[in-house]
Amino acid sequence: MAKQLVAKEIGRRHYRWKELSLLIVPLIILILEMFQLPLANYYRANINGQKIPFSTSILPTVHDLVPILGLVAAVAIVHILLTIFFPKADQMLLPIVALLSGLGVLFAIRNAPSSFDPNMGIKQLVWVLVGLVLFLGVVFGLRNMDWLRRYKYTWAALGLILVGITLVNALHVKNLDSPTHDQLNFGPLSLQPSEFLKIIIVIFFAAYLGENQDVIAEGVRLGPISLPPMRQLGPLLLMLGISLVLFLGVRELGLALLIYGIFLSMLYLGSNKLSYVIGGLAVFLVLGFIGYSLFSYVRARFAAVGLDLVNWPNWTQATLDFERNQGLQIAQGLVALSSGGILGTGFGLGHASALVPVAQSDMIVSVLGEEFGLAGLFALIGFYLVLLYRGFRIAIEAREPFHQLLAAGLTSIFGIQTLIICAGNLKLIPLTGIPLPFLSYGGSSVVANFIIIGILMRISHNTALEKEGLA
Amino acid sequence: MTLDVFLLILRLLGLVLLYLFLMQVVISITRDLRKTATVNQDEQSKLPPVIGHLIVVDSGPSAIPPGTSFSLNPQTTIGRGPTNTIQISESFVSSEHTRMWLRGGVWYVQDAGSKNGTFLNNQPAREALAARVGDIIQVGYLRFKLTQ
Repeated sequence: MAKQLVAKEIGRRHYRWKELSLLIVPLIILILEMFQLPLANYYRANINGQKIPFSTSILPTVHDLVPILGLVAAVAIVHILLTIFFPKADQMLLPIVALLSGLGVLFAIRNAPSSFDPNMGIKQLVWVLVGLVLFLGVVFGLRNMDWLRRYKYTWAALGLILVGITLVNALHVKNLDSPTHDQLNFGPLSLQPSEFLKIIIVIFFAAYLGENQDVIAEGVRLGPISLPPMRQLGPLLLMLGISLVLFLGVRELGLALLIYGIFLSMLYLGSNKLSYVIGGLAVFLVLGFIGYSLFSYVRARFAAVGLDLVNWPNWTQATLDFERNQGLQIAQGLVALSSGGILGTGFGLGHASALVPVAQSDMIVSVLGEEFGLAGLFALIGFYLVLLYRGFRIAIEAREPFHQLLAAGLTSIFGIQTLIICAGNLKLIPLTGIPLPFLSYGGSSVVANFIIIGILMRISHNTALEKEGLA
Repeated sequence: MTLDVFLLILRLLGLVLLYLFLMQVVISITRDLRKTATVNQDEQSKLPPVIGHLIVVDSGPSAIPPGTSFSLNPQTTIGRGPTNTIQISESFVSSEHTRMWLRGGVWYVQDAGSKNGTFLNNQPAREALAARVGDIIQVGYLRFKLTQ
């Protein structure tokens, strides 16, 4: 009976009108910005005090728009495939992700001339296309999520071994101050396994918490406070401990922060106990203090937070030296942000891309804030909020605890990453090398984010089918 | 027109489009939330309204404590068998003991061929009898009060 209903629902075609109507504006935005970029470059090349007259001969041709038109075509194909095979899946994720990843490609193209790699834009475009293919692969392939849950220990071991090998390799070969020491090279490809480890960790946490939810929520009473049962938490803490040691060992503070944040939010989601989170934060503060007093590189990161930019006329020689060396990135980023003002300098016309070190990935918020202004930055943060809203909505609607925890955990990855990197760029917390989801340059990050979106999409599709079956 | 004016127009157009998209997304979210709210209301209104209860006033030799409440459906059967609306696993209750139904706002009680009988206010209910709120319905040795 239920199966017949499902079959009937699939048989009746639902066009994804909402998705189509939401896709139009983002794709226009992408084409508009791409159109603007050659003009901006021309403007910057020819500026010499007097006004440059406008003529149609300097307008970009279709040839200049090819990269973004390719992306638009790819998104359209994905939309059509989703309409045919997954009419019931969430309709808001694709438009938002298309806009964010398209802007990521645009910023890679824009930052390419002043970076180490002139082909960066095309590379990022290729990665986004690979991401879209993998996204479809996940949506089609994850018919049944049970095997994700069943082999959770296998996944966990695999992920840790992969990251472990990379890190040991990195420790032998490179020095720790190089920004990309958690890479794994396969010929021309270089992957960052840590990007995939975060997905594996969420799968593991979701599977484990889903099975032991009741026991962990129960807690062990010890006088007035209730402690989580240590025996049930054991595997979680072990997984957490190993990843924290791995990342702290190679000075990946941001990843350690991200993993710890995922752990706390999933523990809260699984147990519904605020006391665990407060306890976890207290432990975090203690650990942070120990780290601060033990490791010099943690102290160096914190020193940049203390930099007082507004008071620059009264700087001593020591502060000036600091600003020109360790504090350069953050100080230049803030200057760029403030020079953007409310409406921004315009896409392609800012200075952050040339002046801020690692502008294409770690400091993308500064570039964005300078060229799109405060208004553009707010809009983008709004898109991230909507992305989070949709993710948690999918989690709420899902029926099984594993699916709920998985969707919520994967969504929290986006939330925590955006929070850490934005706060780092704004000098609220120490800057860490975490990518802004979809916008920062980096293949592994984009591909991993598309896989996450694929899993969310599949969960929403499964939930919709189950509902039809039950109705 | 100079180039910087043209660039300014493009920049403002870009910002306007960004906010247009944000507005579109937020509108479709609100619509979605409103839709789920009405769906939830529908689901709540689909639940059958509670139309009456039987409350145990005298448990007799059974283990059911006095004060236990059973909700009634428009068609309710009481008995030991698992197909009954109200299932009472006591040896003095027959597998199909009592039938109750609501018609025109009035409850009717009738014995369903039990061994120990059904009584309405101590009257044997071999034929259908009309019951009012507050009446005592006896199923075997178990006595209930009919309430709203």
